[in-house]
Amino acid sequence: MKQRDEIVVLTDAVLITCIVQRGSAEAVVEAATEAGAQGATIFYARGTGVRQKHLGVLGITVNAEKEVLYIVAPGDHADHIFERVYVAAKLDTPGMGMIYMMRLEKMATYVPPEVAARFGQYADHHG
Amino acid sequence: MSPPHAKHSGNPERPAPRLRYGEFLSAVRVKQNRMSYNQVYAEATRNARAPRLRLIDLHRLLTPYVSVRFLDQVRAVVPLALFLALFQIAALRVSVSEGDEIAFGMLAVMLGLMLFMDGVKYGLMPFSENIGFKLPDRSPTTVVLAFAFLLGAIATFAEPAIGALRAAGAGLDPARTPWLHLLLTRYPGRLVFAVAAGVGAAVVVGMLRFIFAWRMKTLVIAVLVPCLAASVYAGLDPRLAPILGLAWDCGAITTGPVTVPLVLALGIGVAAAAGEQDNPLSGFGIVTLASLFPAMAVILVAIGLVSEVPDPAALPAIAGAGAIVPWWDETPVAEMIAAVRAIAPLVLLLWLAQRFLLGEKLAQRQFIAYGVVVAVLGMTLFNVGLTVGLIPLGDQAGKVVPSAFHAAGGGVPLYPYPFGVALTLLFAATIGYGATVAEPALNAMGVTVENLTDGAFPRKLLIQSVAAGVALGTALGVAKIIFQWPMLPLLLGAYAVALALTVLSLEEYVSLAWDSAGVTTGPVTVPLVLALGLGLSQAVGAAEGFGILAMASAGPIVSVLAVGLWIRRGSRGET
Repeated sequence: MKQRDEIVVLTDAVLITCIVQRGSAEAVVEAATEAGAQGATIFYARGTGVRQKHLGVLGITVNAEKEVLYIVAPGDHADHIFERVYVAAKLDTPGMGMIYMMRLEKMATYVPPEVAARFGQYADHHG
Repeated sequence: MSPPHAKHSGNPERPAPRLRYGEFLSAVRVKQNRMSYNQVYAEATRNARAPRLRLIDLHRLLTPYVSVRFLDQVRAVVPLALFLALFQIAALRVSVSEGDEIAFGMLAVMLGLMLFMDGVKYGLMPFSENIGFKLPDRSPTTVVLAFAFLLGAIATFAEPAIGALRAAGAGLDPARTPWLHLLLTRYPGRLVFAVAAGVGAAVVVGMLRFIFAWRMKTLVIAVLVPCLAASVYAGLDPRLAPILGLAWDCGAITTGPVTVPLVLALGIGVAAAAGEQDNPLSGFGIVTLASLFPAMAVILVAIGLVSEVPDPAALPAIAGAGAIVPWWDETPVAEMIAAVRAIAPLVLLLWLAQRFLLGEKLAQRQFIAYGVVVAVLGMTLFNVGLTVGLIPLGDQAGKVVPSAFHAAGGGVPLYPYPFGVALTLLFAATIGYGATVAEPALNAMGVTVENLTDGAFPRKLLIQSVAAGVALGTALGVAKIIFQWPMLPLLLGAYAVALALTVLSLEEYVSLAWDSAGVTTGPVTVPLVLALGLGLSQAVGAAEGFGILAMASAGPIVSVLAVGLWIRRGSRGET
């Protein structure tokens, strides 16, 4: 019944992207993990924003080197993770960065076979 | 409310209604106020103004920024100062006098360096990078070289450690080293100008190397041989011999945290314009030259001085000499003026080049203004700390250490002579080692080298070999003062070995080794070691106390070259 060219595609996935200053991603990932995120991808980037310019001389404290976090979360938990990350990254202070999330059409990764089987059987049963 | 598929997710045996976790969460979490970005954007662009900051915002912005930078300096200063103080207390059983004043001075040094480095980063580096990238394209080579010369010379004035040199003449005995005393007290301007001209010339040669892609090995030999020849000439003349230590020390002083990055930024631009590939090794080399040329320049000035003033004792006393307050007793105002005088010419030069050679204005002028102000403030604080903290601490240690083997003031030596001398040399080596390991520039260099050599020269090995070289050099320099050895044989010996190893070594190790000499002598180590040597020389009754820095920069050249050769032999054996 299970064929070789069959893959499990997950729906209801949400991508949360958070941009913070270089060096603060660790704390943010920790908060996201606590909130239920199963993983995070961090990459380095450079960028400045309007808040940084408006800060005037204080703007020098904002590092143009950034870390970008990708967190893919299940749609039900995404809002929760979003808020926890917002608080952990202190995004209510100007210059600290930003966060956004978007629905993903689908994603695929390793899904434990027994989990896949359970949901597969379930679908068969009702379908 | 609940989506249709939620009903199916339960166990068929227990059809009790279940609450979806997501719905539960949405009931307890923070309220999200939705707002259209379009509206916010329209509002923000209409009246753009600085955001109102709460106290917590200020804390979040400033605390990490300041603490990272301050801790950098703490790591460089505190262990060294603690070691000096503990050595005095534990090994010599003398308490540190004026401890609170010195502690205050150390705090000022750390704060000052923190501010100064930040000021250089924001106030000067943008200029230098911009000019470095654009000037070689837009101006003829002669203009670029002239600018390079001026930049090197004027940046020398802004080096924090140069202040220590100006102050060093006070403890010298004019009867025993007349010309050295003359140079440091009556003509300190000439000395500083000689050093500045030397650095300027070094920068010009460095730029030429970027343009013509000269090999480092050839260049080192071509520069070192005349330097050694001048040293031999001076060393054989009894009037000039005491100046050698000072001359070679000057080289170590100049290659500090201002000159190196400023000049490198220009050099990278020149190399790019010369069509050279982006060779990561091209950054190395200038530092080496900048520590050799000033030595030669100072020797030349001294030679001129000797022929100009045949008998220093016959000169009339400097007007108001008796009324001069000791240099560490000046008010902070004097330090402020000194700081402005050090930094203003550099800013002016960079600004003029930017304005008239490139004909453009820089963006982000408020950052640059901030950088310049902070640099001046930082240098003022650093100078205060230098006179109140660093120099007295080094001076005290230098004066007290000989009591380990030397019966000072009619007392008995603390330890038997050979043991006392050994203890002192060990102390010197530890200072050299500790100061080197703490140097942040060396760590950065180690990472670069590890990448360049594909791990053949690991970062830790580089740091250890440089530190061992500095330790050995420092111990040698201290031994020179204790036993009152002449400077010339030591210099010749060290640099002859370095020269021989240079001829044998690979090009990349040559650049690396010669540069590691300049990297190690940071703005904290230099004044401390200088003061230590002067204090030591007074305590043991030596004629002059220079030369420790010179030996401490020769040491790592030899040790890094030797380790490089050893690595090559090892890898050749394997393949």
